Amino acid sequence: MVSFAQSPCVPADREHDMAEIVLPVIREALDACGLTRDDIDFFASGSHDFYEGRTFSYIESLDAVGAWPPISESHVEMDAAWAFAEAWAWLQLGEGQTAMVYGIGRSSLAADLDQILPAQLDPYLLAPLRPHRDALAGLQARALIDAGLLTERQLAEIVSRYKDVAVDKLMDAPHVAAPLRAHDIAPPGDAAAVIVLAAGDTARRLTAHPAWVRGLDHRMETHYPGVRDLTCSPSTRRAGERAAELAGFATADVQVAELHTEYSYQEPLLVAELGLKNAEVNPSGGPLAGWPATATGLIRIGEAARRIMDGTTGRALAHATNGPALQHNLVCLLAAQPRDPGQPRDPGQPRDAAQPPEAAQPREPEQPREPEQPRDAGQPREPGQPCDAAQPRDAAQPRDTAQPPEAAQARDAAPARDAAPARDAGEAR
Amino acid sequence: MTLPEPVETTSSPLYMNYTYVAGTGRSVFLRGLNERRLLARHCPGCSLVYAPAPEFCSRCLRPVGPPFELPGTGEVSTFCVVNFPFPGQVYEPPYVVAHIMLDGAHNRLMHLVREVAPEEVTIGLRVEPVWVDDDELDTSTTSIRYFRPIGRPTRDVAAVPYAQTPIGPADA
Repeated sequence: MVSFAQSPCVPADREHDMAEIVLPVIREALDACGLTRDDIDFFASGSHDFYEGRTFSYIESLDAVGAWPPISESHVEMDAAWAFAEAWAWLQLGEGQTAMVYGIGRSSLAADLDQILPAQLDPYLLAPLRPHRDALAGLQARALIDAGLLTERQLAEIVSRYKDVAVDKLMDAPHVAAPLRAHDIAPPGDAAAVIVLAAGDTARRLTAHPAWVRGLDHRMETHYPGVRDLTCSPSTRRAGERAAELAGFATADVQVAELHTEYSYQEPLLVAELGLKNAEVNPSGGPLAGWPATATGLIRIGEAARRIMDGTTGRALAHATNGPALQHNLVCLLAAQPRDPGQPRDPGQPRDAAQPPEAAQPREPEQPREPEQPRDAGQPREPGQPCDAAQPRDAAQPRDTAQPPEAAQARDAAPARDAAPARDAGEAR
Repeated sequence: MTLPEPVETTSSPLYMNYTYVAGTGRSVFLRGLNERRLLARHCPGCSLVYAPAPEFCSRCLRPVGPPFELPGTGEVSTFCVVNFPFPGQVYEPPYVVAHIMLDGAHNRLMHLVREVAPEEVTIGLRVEPVWVDDDELDTSTTSIRYFRPIGRPTRDVAAVPYAQTPIGPADA
């Protein structure tokens, strides 16, 4: 990464269209690394028609990159962090030397986000219920509190860190989607962000301090939230582990972590799943300072990289999410140094690192996966302990007494299933 | 063996209300329509004249110049005849939808062509706007009711090939 720029996140931009929002940010990002748009080999962007209210809405933004003569470009209908993932992969494949990623997020155009956000849910069983836009987050927050992993006071303490408001005062605020209060929820806004990527020597030529993308991975959980254990985020965990494998350093070793927390409660959950130890979390203020929809995750990558490009940080982590209650998670690991060329080549390493082509070793095939071990519901997890850590559970072990009696009756009536209740098989609660 | 009947329908109507932001460039053109003026803007970088105009040239990315008024006349650069009925249709088919190259502009405006039988419309047909009454004027393309002919085609159609891209050749 050689450049990052973003526009201020404003509650509602009623003056500028999509192209007008992003063009000044593109200019700033290009100027910072001394490039013009003609120097860019590939453009990737992210936005979402449901926030914009029309089909193929992103086409308007192409006016800001100069799509004539025709350019090589791609778009993701989701957070622009995934456009970043595509552009990075494109450079890793050697398709070109430079790429620009931009994200536009306008949370303010929908008159009522409660009309919009149910459309992301399963249309048969969930969308007809029209859950309040924060209801699924409320379910997850409540589950975490009930599991002993969080308290409402801790949520207030997290928010207090960002907003400089006393914890007791925050605790006095009314609930919006209990246990969540308004300040626990990222405020909608409009903004754009732009990142310029360059491969190896091109990056070295463009800036003295590039932020090297050492590893990136993203994992998705099932579409139906009722199937998930909301007290954990195995997709974040696995994405972090894979990114670390590519990067050659652990997520625990970063000094800065920019997390895509659209709700306060997500911060400790993500910190635990990523195994962060001493990292400064969201020094930018994070999404609780402003939630420009599909630009939010890309801004996390930009903010993490900025700390490396300005020389204040050696290793940083960025996280982005899509979908309800942290359904789909991306982890990107960045460092001030590229991967040691002496190590076997890995997709996390810049393509033109000084090494002969024959040094490129195919990656070891992934080890067969351990089956997911659902955590024992009867044993509260320590805060910070990942939920899918190996906790052998005897399938025949009797459930604890907290189980609702009707469920126990059902099991009695169906002894064949008793040995492997659905939850223990990781299927359904 | 017969499979159980699937559920064929379930009702879950989605209503979504949006605020559309016209943007600074487009707003200039829309305000002009509210005053029966067709406003164009000139790009200082590549000399293109846009009507409607964005705030900056999508080809060279330079801010475009101040707005100026076009005479409003133009010619049909291509058209089609709508022959089928559909919900929400305003005019009874058949009617003509056309790309109109306004005199003095380098890009085309889409609108209706009426007061002429569809079979008499040709590429190159000279047209002028028919504006709505004062009380119907709005910051909208509906301030122009339609375009109508102002004579016969004045140019040889073959001399103005549509394929000549209005924003310039790709290798420029």
